[in-house]
Amino acid sequence: MEEAFLILEKGFWAGIAALGFGVLFNVPQRTLWAIAWIGALGSFVKFVLLEIDVNIIFASLAGASLVGIVSIPLAHEIHSPPLIFSIPAVIPMVPGALAYQMMIGLMKIAVHTTETGMEVVLTDTFQAAMKATFILLSLAVGVAVPMLVTRKESAKRIRIKL
Amino acid sequence: MNQELGKIADVLLETGALLMGAGANTGRIRVTVNRIAHSLGYQVELLITHRALMVSVIDDEGETFTSKLKRTPPHGVNFKVLSGISRMSWRVQDEDWELDRINEELNRLKSLPHYPRWLILLLVSLAGASFCRLFGGGGIEMLVAFIATFSGLFVRQEAVKKNFNLFICVLMAAAVASLIAGAAVKLGIGKAPELAFATSVLFLVPGVPLINSFTDLIDGNVSTGIVRGVNGFMIAFCIALGMMLAMVLYKI
Repeated sequence: MEEAFLILEKGFWAGIAALGFGVLFNVPQRTLWAIAWIGALGSFVKFVLLEIDVNIIFASLAGASLVGIVSIPLAHEIHSPPLIFSIPAVIPMVPGALAYQMMIGLMKIAVHTTETGMEVVLTDTFQAAMKATFILLSLAVGVAVPMLVTRKESAKRIRIKL
Repeated sequence: MNQELGKIADVLLETGALLMGAGANTGRIRVTVNRIAHSLGYQVELLITHRALMVSVIDDEGETFTSKLKRTPPHGVNFKVLSGISRMSWRVQDEDWELDRINEELNRLKSLPHYPRWLILLLVSLAGASFCRLFGGGGIEMLVAFIATFSGLFVRQEAVKKNFNLFICVLMAAAVASLIAGAAVKLGIGKAPELAFATSVLFLVPGVPLINSFTDLIDGNVSTGIVRGVNGFMIAFCIALGMMLAMVLYKI
């Protein structure tokens, strides 16, 4: 029960983060509430999947895909292109912590003088770097999913009923 | 006739350049410019690069054509412009807009105000605190992340205003944010201050260039995709450099 509440709470904070980036990217005012909601929704799905031991890359892909799909009907409703909704909404899923670990690792490699323990640092750093890259890739793919699947040039031609 | 073509080319280039500056991906620029050109009754060929656009406008008979080149404005994400141009392109098609009407609308979109500065500072700092919470930080860490993000963003806004190089702006912002969050690590404020340290620079993450880079690459626009990717990585590198500065100074 407590875990369920924690995931909901994290979803809430993801929504706030999405809202902040929406304002930073100067989105139209009428889209702000929707951005907060789908930002919360996408991250909520990601955290639920992480809870049932899904790999973080696939969890991010699923969350971002959901954001991408939901932003199509929203785009019809609020008259703005889908990426206005989807890009700020997936920013909370950006692998900041992994990028940080990678950075620390690279610094250790650069500054390290003794030979011992180097293997661990190398593998950890490489793993963090690969995870961060693939998560970023899956975010971009997730956002583009509706376009890739329907092979339409414009979201205006895609009909998704909520 | 040629003068008319020149005017059309100017409008199309202005539209494309605004889109590129505001953070649209390459496919979107091409589709939007094509849509407007076809609505006006012309064929168009486009060359899209990161820093300049080239357009050839061809009239219906395919006999006369004009080519023009335009440099894109400095890049700064602005989804209000992006959304406005997208809406405009459909109205040009559906309501048969004239050239003057399009020019008027473009000028209006360019002059649209940003959100008030205090609101941006407040909400982006809240986003920084949220990130800290998402990575497992508590109340104190969130407060540290809030203050660090606030100061960092303030510095970046000032630096942008003073026309510093884009990467220097990011470097200064990252350094200030990490120096403030790093102080919390050094003094041992809160349970896990390194969480605040890691999240205080996340407002600088080049999300739009990196996502656009992948979108372009998937789309087959490899050259713009690579340029955007390199730009994104250079921004990320500047963030890392700023953090490194704090880590070296504080020896953490």
